[in-house]
Amino acid sequence: MKQIARSPLFNFPMLAKVVGMLLMIESVFLVLPFVAALVYKEADALPVGITMGGTFLTGLVLARRIKPLHSRLSKRDGFLLTSLVWVTFSLFGMLPFIFSETTPCSVTDAFFEAMSGFTTTGASTLGSLPGMSHSLLLWRAVMQWIGGLGIILFTLAVLPMLNTSGGMQMFNAEMTGITHDKIRPRISQTAKSLWAIYMVLTAVLALLLWAGPMSFFDAVCTAFGTLSTGGYTSGISGMQAMQHTYIKVVMTVFMFLGGVNFALLFRFLTGQPRQLMRNDVFRIYVAFVLVMWVSFSVAGFFAEGYRGLEALTLDPLFQVVAISTSTGISLLPVAGWGGFTLMLTILMMFFGGCAGSTSGGAKIDRLVYLVKNTGNELYRCIYPNVVLPVQVGGRVASPQLVGKVIAFLCIYVIVVLVGASILTIMDVPVTDAIFSCFSCISNTGFGTEITGLGGSYDMLPGAAKWVLSFIMLTGRLEIFSVLVLLMPAFWSRS
Amino acid sequence: MKIVIAGSGEVGSHLAKLLSNEEQDITLVDEDAAKLSILDTNYNLMTVVGNPTSFAALREAGAGRCDLFIAVTPYESNNIVACSIAKNLGAQLTVARIDSYDYMKPDNFRHVRNMGVDKVIYPEYLAAKEIITSLEYSWMRSRFELHDGQIILAGIVLPQNAPIAGMQLKEFAFSNHHFHVSAIRRNHETIIPRGDDRLMPGDILYFTTTREHARDLMELTGQKERKIRRVMIMGGGKLTMRLTNLAEGKFKFKILESDLDECHRLSRRCPGVEIINGDARDVDTLIDSGITDMDAFITLTPSSESNILTCLTARELVDAKTIAEVENIQFIDQAEALDIGLVINKKLLASSAIFQLLLDADSSTSKCLALADAEVAELEVRPGSKITHAPVKDLRLSRDMTLAGLIRDGQGMLITGNTRIQAGDLVLVFSLNGALRQVERLFN
Repeated sequence: MKQIARSPLFNFPMLAKVVGMLLMIESVFLVLPFVAALVYKEADALPVGITMGGTFLTGLVLARRIKPLHSRLSKRDGFLLTSLVWVTFSLFGMLPFIFSETTPCSVTDAFFEAMSGFTTTGASTLGSLPGMSHSLLLWRAVMQWIGGLGIILFTLAVLPMLNTSGGMQMFNAEMTGITHDKIRPRISQTAKSLWAIYMVLTAVLALLLWAGPMSFFDAVCTAFGTLSTGGYTSGISGMQAMQHTYIKVVMTVFMFLGGVNFALLFRFLTGQPRQLMRNDVFRIYVAFVLVMWVSFSVAGFFAEGYRGLEALTLDPLFQVVAISTSTGISLLPVAGWGGFTLMLTILMMFFGGCAGSTSGGAKIDRLVYLVKNTGNELYRCIYPNVVLPVQVGGRVASPQLVGKVIAFLCIYVIVVLVGASILTIMDVPVTDAIFSCFSCISNTGFGTEITGLGGSYDMLPGAAKWVLSFIMLTGRLEIFSVLVLLMPAFWSRS
Repeated sequence: MKIVIAGSGEVGSHLAKLLSNEEQDITLVDEDAAKLSILDTNYNLMTVVGNPTSFAALREAGAGRCDLFIAVTPYESNNIVACSIAKNLGAQLTVARIDSYDYMKPDNFRHVRNMGVDKVIYPEYLAAKEIITSLEYSWMRSRFELHDGQIILAGIVLPQNAPIAGMQLKEFAFSNHHFHVSAIRRNHETIIPRGDDRLMPGDILYFTTTREHARDLMELTGQKERKIRRVMIMGGGKLTMRLTNLAEGKFKFKILESDLDECHRLSRRCPGVEIINGDARDVDTLIDSGITDMDAFITLTPSSESNILTCLTARELVDAKTIAEVENIQFIDQAEALDIGLVINKKLLASSAIFQLLLDADSSTSKCLALADAEVAELEVRPGSKITHAPVKDLRLSRDMTLAGLIRDGQGMLITGNTRIQAGDLVLVFSLNGALRQVERLFN
């Protein structure tokens, strides 16, 4: 056996090389807003073009100039790379906002905007700015669309390079959910199948919206933002179009689909339709949405000045789906409906959609585990020696797995509380602090207008935006992948 | 190719990793969820938790749509049932690992085939065959035959006094047209040699040659023909039984077994073999049993460590060929470094046999042997491929590969700089790890 020289903890040259390759992919996506800028003859063609070229060149230099000694990526490399990729994407993705001719903004706001885009949070500090150019609006939508299913998953689909165990590590770190079901034996096929479903659904949605009272541009942006459950809107015209019944119905359906496990959707569409209805998590997801729908309708009924058939049926459904899939488009003046709806909103944000979907939150799957485990614990109070496994989908979950899920939920809440505490140092009111943190970790993107503070995230101090950006990333990569980087043991040999 | 593997034991997981690296679609079925989850997170394959002999699990794994179904659970009856189910669901080819010769006998195999098992793999049989080849060609380290022996690949250790020791490869090639030094293994590293590399004593040289010249290698490398007649075996397990039955009087066996009941059983099962009740780990017992008269000493107990160490002890007592069974895969390199003549690993033999089956099904490429860091492949030349464009010397081939020999119209021949490869030839290629993809591009 060849003696392996004690290798460094991290294979930094290889990490840089991979990041370089991914940046080149990002620059390809930047072509879309660049084209939009040219079509609409906007001044933002220059900043977007420069960003595109700069990103490509940086990527090219990193990918070509760096010659790693070996291409092995360890577990540590995998975790670091996942977070690194998301941060670098946001760092380059924010450049068009900073250099924009029409709506320039600070680095803080731009980074917040980009991170919020990629993590499909859809919280905006710029959203209230009128006159954002088409190219920037499109870029925001594209960012969400890439982030929705995952940057790394996209890479796995198009580049064979990551088809190694390091790539597997990254797939596991980026995909949402407790366990990750592969739908095809090879990871690249799985990635291709998932992206294929995603693209087809996006295209169908865009066409449906375009067929209705939406312009082509708005339809594309909204489709990107809806299926990725991001929730960035395409400016004023897009918001106005959302008042149409037809658009509301279509969007509700597709937001809902965005909250369903894509592996399940894949099976549904490829000849195993029964799997969907038989799936525990999916059924609970449907039930959860229905219960919330009724609650919202009732709350709306008792709210003042809110009447009409559509306003009490379709609008609450749209709103409930938008919240629980973490899309976070606010259609109703929920703020005026009292504390109960606010609490329901928080609850929905907490649990989000199904694992393996583009939605955020802690995922319905974990709610199922939590509820079943709680039931077992209570039963155990009466019969102390009873052996009761947690069963989901006819499968017994191992105690370690259940432990990990419970730990996840606890850490989730702790991150929110710690984040909120930091925000209160900066004089953000308690309710708003907790609400914003919840909104960011679950990638919903509701601003403080819901809690009654008014305005959106632009009200917050600069430092708070950085804290929230970090929380968004933590939420998108499902806590462990990011928090592990804070462990001293991660950076040193033990 | 879609491959379903039932059983994630050592053979199953080894195969799964191997095939997954070859970019095949692998689905692994086993009941042990913990074991599968490790494989699932670290390797590029899909896993299904379930009993490999249940319809539900096999359906879920897609056994009905697979090209190859491999059953390698620890029990042969389970393997046969699993294959039977898979075949009936629609699997193209099914392979079962078995533990007894009974199912392999031509008469009986017809019935096994009727149950839906297309091929059986019997690791003890493979191991026994390997040991016998090694005893028959005792002066070679390893020997592979391609196309019924049209081309022979021989691994030989170069002794100090060999005529060619210290020679530069270009001098060697100048005077010996019938041999091709395809690879050199030196200090745990495989080298694809160039003209100015020297052949050093202690190297393992991999020669490619045609059948009629194979014997000349012995003189060339200064090896002595050594007729092996008397063989001592330590441990009387299944492999020992298979070996003594298969050798059919070619050798005179003496078995050392420490368990008395086992000895009685052996005496019934292996007629004509001398059986001694005693522990071969004891030097006195070895000497009393006549180790000093032996031509070869083979250790086949379940303990890899005992096997390796007892071989070393035996070498001090007698100048005999030693063969050790080493079932812990990570010990193999160590055992080879200790210069034990041949190391037998049933799992690797089984997986390479299955690998070979797979390659037979996909005839354009077939890998015949894997060294630790190099691969040897037999590739079919497609019409119009790059490699046919010019004589070999003008092709500017990568330094990580060498073309060793070819088979044209069923006739083996070696390749020199002036050879022009034609479409339809089967070419034997040595390449360092990772270069095989590049090589394949040349052939398509």
